[in-house]
Amino acid sequence: MAPAVTATAVDDVDPQIYEDRHVHAVYDEIAPHFSSTRYKPWPIIAQFLASLPTGWVGLDSGTGNGKYLPLPTDRPGSVWTVGLDRSRNLLSIARTAGGNNVIREVVWGDVLERSWRDGAFDYAISIATIHHLATWERRKVAVQRLIQAISPTHGRALIYVWAVEQDGLSKRSIPRDQVLQTCGQDVFVPWVVTQGQPQPKSAVHTSTAPVFKRYYHMFTKGELTSLVHEAAKELELTVGAKGDAEGKRGIEIVRDGWERSNYYVELRRWECR
Amino acid sequence: MVRLITHNLLACHAKGCTTNNFPLKLQGIVVEVREAEFNAEFLRGFLPRIEWTALVNAARELGDTSLPTEMPEMVDNDFLKNLHHVLLEMHIDEGAMICPNCGHKYPILNGIPNMLLAEHEIG
Repeated sequence: MAPAVTATAVDDVDPQIYEDRHVHAVYDEIAPHFSSTRYKPWPIIAQFLASLPTGWVGLDSGTGNGKYLPLPTDRPGSVWTVGLDRSRNLLSIARTAGGNNVIREVVWGDVLERSWRDGAFDYAISIATIHHLATWERRKVAVQRLIQAISPTHGRALIYVWAVEQDGLSKRSIPRDQVLQTCGQDVFVPWVVTQGQPQPKSAVHTSTAPVFKRYYHMFTKGELTSLVHEAAKELELTVGAKGDAEGKRGIEIVRDGWERSNYYVELRRWECR
Repeated sequence: MVRLITHNLLACHAKGCTTNNFPLKLQGIVVEVREAEFNAEFLRGFLPRIEWTALVNAARELGDTSLPTEMPEMVDNDFLKNLHHVLLEMHIDEGAMICPNCGHKYPILNGIPNMLLAEHEIG
């Protein structure tokens, strides 16, 4: 029987140490195996990348194995996406994502840091990344970093996180007993290294196969949108469409929703002269 | 491998370092030139977003003097070829990037820049 997703709580622990243990160490161990299961671009994300004008340069904050760096596939080289990730081992894979002898731009860093010149990017994507941050505050800061990295006049961003509400096709089932309406659910999601894969040293060994536990904060309905609202407000950005909203600068939530066990928010920055 | 397209985007983010933190100075750089597919439309589109002086100076630090000091009004194919080479074909394999303000050193190893901060440096 496959190991189950288990509820957890992040309390009394330095969130950085918690993430080091339950996110970063795990990804570095499982990098090649993990990468081999992450190859199919999700449609809304592929569509977002395909809609970008030629000449745009963007950030994939938490690029993992670099799955999105080669997109859009019908116009290769028309936009450039720089991949940032905390896992050095995943970055080594991301460097050559898409094959064809094309080298990608990858940077080893932390999504909570302001590693970029403000407003330097035309777009940013954050796919299945901020749900690895252990506190609401850190997840909010990660959203702020995305907003700060993109152009104040035309920057676009797309954020995707795992949802408590999983669909029938999902391999995960989330324990529901402790789900709080507004706060989402902290869980450990198991990763099983199957036979034939490289055997990392530090996994908990069961009688069948080594298992790693990865920390996730599963978002509940409305939580990601609220997070984006709070992040923007703190940056003194109005949330609303440029024409309708008051204030000189802001973000417009272009769309938000649930797709295949994920919540997403797409936003655009605007500024009045 | 990190190239000047990325260098033009990176800034220092050490604790308290918020001004004069771009561009990072290049030090001890080992470059490998690798051809990349030329895309004139991409370059034309990206051009207005480039921090031009930072790019020209970084190129010169790597021994390339093909770019003019000022961004040209009229853009021809020769210019785009030079820009392409500077942005996308000079791969920095080893070296470091130093903040002109606080002196923090970001190493580049095996073509990947390390932008992680030590704990005491995080703001």
